[in-house]
Amino acid sequence: MADQPLVIGFETSCDETGVGLVRGHTLLADALATSMAEHERFGGVVPEIASRAHLEAMVPTVHRALADAGATVDDVDAIAVTSGPGLTGALLVGVAAAKAYALALGKPLYGVNHLAAHVAVDELQHGPLAEPSIALLVSGGHSSLLLVPDLAQEVQSLGRTVDDAAGEAFDKVARVLGLPFPGGPPIDRAAREGDPRAIGFPRGLTGPRDAPYDFSFSGLKTAVARWVEARQRAGEDVPVADVAASFQEAVADVLTAKAVRACRDHGVDHLVLGGGVAANSRLRALAEERCAAAGIVLRVPSPRLCTDNGAMVAALGSRLVAAGVAPSSPDLGADSSLPIEVIRG
Amino acid sequence: MRREHVLPTPEDTHALGRALAELLAPGDLVVLVGPLGAGKTALTQGIGAGLGVREPVTSPTFVISRVHRGGRVPLVHVDAYRLGGVADVDDLDLDASTDESVTVVEWGEGLVERLTDEHLVVRLDRRDDDVRSAVLVPHGAGWERRLDAR
Repeated sequence: MADQPLVIGFETSCDETGVGLVRGHTLLADALATSMAEHERFGGVVPEIASRAHLEAMVPTVHRALADAGATVDDVDAIAVTSGPGLTGALLVGVAAAKAYALALGKPLYGVNHLAAHVAVDELQHGPLAEPSIALLVSGGHSSLLLVPDLAQEVQSLGRTVDDAAGEAFDKVARVLGLPFPGGPPIDRAAREGDPRAIGFPRGLTGPRDAPYDFSFSGLKTAVARWVEARQRAGEDVPVADVAASFQEAVADVLTAKAVRACRDHGVDHLVLGGGVAANSRLRALAEERCAAAGIVLRVPSPRLCTDNGAMVAALGSRLVAAGVAPSSPDLGADSSLPIEVIRG
Repeated sequence: MRREHVLPTPEDTHALGRALAELLAPGDLVVLVGPLGAGKTALTQGIGAGLGVREPVTSPTFVISRVHRGGRVPLVHVDAYRLGGVADVDDLDLDASTDESVTVVEWGEGLVERLTDEHLVVRLDRRDDDVRSAVLVPHGAGWERRLDAR
């Protein structure tokens, strides 16, 4: 194992400062610091505060990851960093740190795509990815269906959200229901007590003439808001558990139906889920059920690895090193809207 | 241009956005006001289409702001929904591009007006029957004239 390179990965695209260490497909350390508490204090995310929090957390998080792995900085063979997509100011902190380490250590630098890293992280748990695979990435900022012929070389976008991301719909519906931010976990919890068939919320872009792999969650969010407002106007109690369960069912239904269809249409029998929304219990259960029925092998990382972390960046970096992909240029920059097709920034 | 619009379908909201785009010039600030689901992103998609920007306009809630190029004028699409109450809009680093771009801000009322001398507010609303409405509210003599001229 020691003959495989030790790759360190930096993740700072949003609220989490993550540093991971990976050798081959083996996860050695996954240190995380979050600025969520600071943002909660201000009632929302403040980009400048996110950047400053990354700056303060960066070096201590690197030290923690190295200590957890029982390694020193001199053991590192390559440096990987999320160079996009994400918040520009936040990305810049990770990119600057990675460049500094690469320069100081004289080791190659790999700017990597945040979305591809969400796919790569599964290799740390379930071994090499079957290729081609279909990947469904769902988080607060993204909802994408990808065809992955070769994670180190080629990722194709099949579809994406045309308005709101799935996680964003969770956040906004949580606010409508008076649940805390981020909305995913509290809706998941509330839904356990509710009836998913209580309210028939709309399934966006599922008509016969709609784009088969694109998503739309804006109409669903609005439908929930309208339903709740009508109840409130009538002076009735809002059945939070039923609304949460019915909303969650609509999201899980559309996501899994389209993912399974993408597998079938492309003759692919492996599906990978990734991103924070992949931690949702109903999405996981329904994906399990539908994949089993369709003869598709489903791979879902544990919830801890679904959300943003440094391990996923190191995992993709490790993949790129193993595939002999050339490192990034030393003047690597942050690209807030890096296209998914660009695996190495 | 009429100040009040009834928008029965999302296509109508999109069309209003395209019509607004014809009035827009570099340096303009448009503030969109309205509840969840009133059509703010749909209107911005129309503005983007009218300006001819390349990338699809989707909700920027998560990334706070997104720049769309490739059109007659760059479109800076900002969503202040996730911003904290005390956030200083300077922290968004928007000033850098507001002079050369059209800046459209969702959920930004009371936060961003001082970016420019004048601005246009579009008040969007959603009725119980799901029909949307829009009211254009000019702030500044220049915007008054521009709306009257069309």
